[in-house]
Amino acid sequence: MLNVAQPAKKQASKASKRFWRNPASIIGVILLLLLVLVAVLARVISPDPIVQDLAQRLQPPSSQHLLGTDQLGRSVWGRVAHGAALSLQVGVVVTLISVGVGVLIGLLAGTFGGVWDNVLMRITDIFFAFPSLILAMAIAAALGPSLTNTIIAVAVVSWPSYARLVRAEAMALREREFVEAARAIGTSPVSIALRHVLPNTLTPVLIQASFDVGQAILTAAGLSFIGFGAQPPTPEWGAMVSETRNFISEAPWASSAPAIAILLAVLSFNLLGDGLRDALDPRNTK
Amino acid sequence: MRKQIGAVVILGIGLLAVGVAQNSRSSTLVYGGDFSDLISLDPGISYEFSGGLITDNLYETLVKFEGEDLSTLKPSIATRWTTKDAGDAWKITFTLRNQKFSSGNPVTADDVVYTFDRAIALKGNGSFLFDEVANIKIGSTKAINKSTVEVTLPKTASPAAFLNLLTFNIGGIVDSVVVKAKAVNNDYGSAWLKRNSAGSGPYVLNRWDQNQQVVLDANPNSRLLPKLSRIILREMKEANTQKIALESNEIDIAENLTPDMVKQKAADSKFNVYKADSLRLQYLGMNTGAGSPFEDAKVRQAVRWALDQDSMVNVLAGGNARKVQTIIPAGLFGFNAATPYSVNPEKAKALLASAGKPNGFEFEMLVPQGSCAAGVPCSDLAAKIQSDLAKIGLKANIKQIVQSELLGIYRAQKAQMVLVGWSPDFPDPDGNATPMSDYGAKSLAWRNAWNNPTASKLAQQAALETNATKRAALYKQLTELQLEEGPFAILYQPKVPVTLSAGVKSYLRNAQGQVRFEKISK
Amino acid sequence: MLNYTIRRLFFVLFVVWGVSLATFFISQVVPGDPALAALGDKATDEMIANFRVKNGLDQPVYVQYFTYIGRLLQGDLGTSLRTGRPILDDLRDFFPGTLELSATALLIAALLGIPAGILAALNQNKAPDVIVRLLALLGGATPIYWLAILLLEFLHNKLRLLPGPGRLDAYLIAPPRVTGFVGLDALFAGDWQVLGDSLMHIILPAFVLGAFSSALLARMTRAAMLETLSQDFIRTARSKGVAETRVVIKHALRNAFLPVLTVLGGVLGGLLSGAVLTETIFSWPGIGRYTTDAAISLDFPAVMGVTLLAGMAYSLINLFTDLLYALFDPRITYA
Repeated sequence: MLNVAQPAKKQASKASKRFWRNPASIIGVILLLLLVLVAVLARVISPDPIVQDLAQRLQPPSSQHLLGTDQLGRSVWGRVAHGAALSLQVGVVVTLISVGVGVLIGLLAGTFGGVWDNVLMRITDIFFAFPSLILAMAIAAALGPSLTNTIIAVAVVSWPSYARLVRAEAMALREREFVEAARAIGTSPVSIALRHVLPNTLTPVLIQASFDVGQAILTAAGLSFIGFGAQPPTPEWGAMVSETRNFISEAPWASSAPAIAILLAVLSFNLLGDGLRDALDPRNTK
Repeated sequence: MRKQIGAVVILGIGLLAVGVAQNSRSSTLVYGGDFSDLISLDPGISYEFSGGLITDNLYETLVKFEGEDLSTLKPSIATRWTTKDAGDAWKITFTLRNQKFSSGNPVTADDVVYTFDRAIALKGNGSFLFDEVANIKIGSTKAINKSTVEVTLPKTASPAAFLNLLTFNIGGIVDSVVVKAKAVNNDYGSAWLKRNSAGSGPYVLNRWDQNQQVVLDANPNSRLLPKLSRIILREMKEANTQKIALESNEIDIAENLTPDMVKQKAADSKFNVYKADSLRLQYLGMNTGAGSPFEDAKVRQAVRWALDQDSMVNVLAGGNARKVQTIIPAGLFGFNAATPYSVNPEKAKALLASAGKPNGFEFEMLVPQGSCAAGVPCSDLAAKIQSDLAKIGLKANIKQIVQSELLGIYRAQKAQMVLVGWSPDFPDPDGNATPMSDYGAKSLAWRNAWNNPTASKLAQQAALETNATKRAALYKQLTELQLEEGPFAILYQPKVPVTLSAGVKSYLRNAQGQVRFEKISK
Repeated sequence: MLNYTIRRLFFVLFVVWGVSLATFFISQVVPGDPALAALGDKATDEMIANFRVKNGLDQPVYVQYFTYIGRLLQGDLGTSLRTGRPILDDLRDFFPGTLELSATALLIAALLGIPAGILAALNQNKAPDVIVRLLALLGGATPIYWLAILLLEFLHNKLRLLPGPGRLDAYLIAPPRVTGFVGLDALFAGDWQVLGDSLMHIILPAFVLGAFSSALLARMTRAAMLETLSQDFIRTARSKGVAETRVVIKHALRNAFLPVLTVLGGVLGGLLSGAVLTETIFSWPGIGRYTTDAAISLDFPAVMGVTLLAGMAYSLINLFTDLLYALFDPRITYA
């Protein structure tokens, strides 16, 4: 959390320096940039992910097929590259939704306290008590499989951690002098929440969110793997691993390429989260 | 030191595990497959595939088919049977063999009466075979004496069809003395029979660990002496798991390998591939209702001219299928081998143009999850069809959903296009002809909103026609009409490839999926 | 403390009720028909109608809900639409499999993760630290279904080091069921062969399932250790000449244990989610597969049964870790 006694600008430049001095964050950023680049340029740098050539099925990686072909003779590189945009989109949208919902609920609970706090936090607890993949699976089964519904299902299981995080920060801030001062001069609770509490919770939320993009990608791919995700022939990474898993002996590239893509995407966000936390959270500076 | 102790412990455990009694292996067969559909081992209730596979070996039926043949009924519990025309009804009399159940009780006429009445009363998923196909009720079956049973069929039913469906597990005779003793709350013992057996078949049920295994042991009282003393059906959902287990000799038979794996094993001398027949047809259903893009028969023809069936059969199904374009599967009376459609995008486009859709259209294709016929993943088959149709300007949006949701939409006439399969309920062409042609039967023709009075009439006539030549002519007419105007694009008729360890002998499976375990040796 | 515990137990009940309500709500928006799922393609309209009446699906939603709650209060979870059995019986059959797997996974995670974390913290920024952090990063990012497929292919299929899928060799017959845990049952029956075989079978799936958790534990332990090692009382101990091993074991570990304990509750929740994927690939008869099958056939009474059980387990474990926390840290008291 930001130390208000110190000028914010100086604090920020210190954090930025710490961030860029950390090899973990640099690797994370590079990986992420690469991922975004592949996602944006997929059409240019990789072949069509849908077009089939049954005569060329299960071909090993070669100069002609960069990562080989799958069971329908589709280019694995084409599918992995086109899948990048989908996975990034799922990860980011899920995180945006869960941050939005979670922050709102946490702020309400933390700012108003009392009954609000009790009701909202008990609801949050209920969502916490679900095993996430089972709840997501039930929701995806109920809504029917599609990428949009996967996003909804994963968001439903992801928001509660933000609600808890923001509420805890808000509760702690309530006791701080500057919030008490604001309250003393008659500032409305809504205005306190928006002007004082919200900005101060942004740092932990940002750190958590950067981890969660990766987790959302992982969970969504897991849902697709068990058949509750993207529709064929969408080049979604989890679905690709699932569709090609029976060819692991003859064509390991077909399932490993999308799996490694998932790994790298999650890794990049985890590294980014590590870097951000080390840079922004002064308690962690060593 | 500690490390060493740890190593010794691990080594010891490993040695114990390796030392699995070798002698039991030679007399035990381990059968690997996806048996996750198994919900009951009660022959009167079970209608799913796995239940049939197992109960067929726990219970005997009055009559049965032997080997791969599905045309000649052979004696089983009944040594003789006669059909008499009694004016307003058919009377079928069975003479029973003198033999025993696994409990030691004799098999009597009372057991047959109890079995049939029980199956009707239980209203299981297969009970429609008795009450709707054979039109029999509780009381239709009578014991004349200890070894003679008489069944009265109304004239609306066909005696041949009735005898045919007696070969299904619903006709498996249960030991009424044992089952009655186990009945609670008027359940006809179905709670007990779900996980126990009381039959005269070659095996008895030892145990069923749900989602794990079913263990069958030889029935010492059976007339049919099994060659192997124990059969273990091991549930393995994943094809890859089955393949690995087969290679490491953990299982002797693998039922659900992918076509590529089957091909690989067929080339390996350590394994044999047995390709069983099947009466299933994998097809595309097109909704012909008003306002549907497939309303015009020319559009449906265009779809048939676009589909690359040869690749589906040879590549996706790995050759474990037959290209079929008519509605009656090969192996049944009335099969029409014509395959007039081939891949011809120009012709297809011309048909679309003459139907007023020169630029094609976009629609939704419903696809079930999991595997389609011949072990082809439905997602792959759907992607192939999508790519074929794209070549004539039709844009299929694949919607892959759980089977029950798909059926719900299809059965409400709300699907535009579905990718599904159909198997006849009994080995007779009527099992396909009526559901697929007669709108009034409220089955497949109805689901696709295809109301063609000529087709309905032909199907009804053919069902009741007793003269074989005339019946054949009717089915020829019907299949040809369907080929032109019908709401279906038949894709292929699968084979069921079963991969066996080279040592497994005498494995046979008929087109109804029945396997006689007692004949298998290893 | 007692008051606190009782209050928390009430709270567990509340959470379970909330979980049931949420699942019930989801089950009501399902587009498919559970009757068709259970009866199949050949079902007649009459059969479907009978099924709906038999399972109360023809009743208005609120009646269905109150019937459900009424039965629940009597300890009846209802009947599975798919298996036709009481859900409690199904859970009794499948829960031990998952518990066995998760407990072993947790053990593996702890045995790998905690020492690795300590090792890393004691060698901060040196080779062991870098290696542990790298492995932890990979463990936290690998899709476990792929790890499962890969390890199965290499450790079992290619190298034959470990047995394949399933709980036991097919030729071995499990001992009579006492607890439902194959290993324990074998122990009771004195069947050493089955015990050994079941232990060999569980290693691979448990390792796969525990990989993510061990990465998490390694990270947490490392962070907690670094934090305590930099605190004053450790410095004091060191300056007083207390042996380094003693410092680590007696002082640092004890204090680092608490933050690690808090993540254990969350780890168990994660294990159940992971079980869904692991059990499918390893043909492991457990709750994860049961739930997947139930969801696919729209058997929502069964899904509700599982979520209720999981919600309860999660809340109780959290309560338990909180109480442990108080036990280990005298500064914390619950009123």
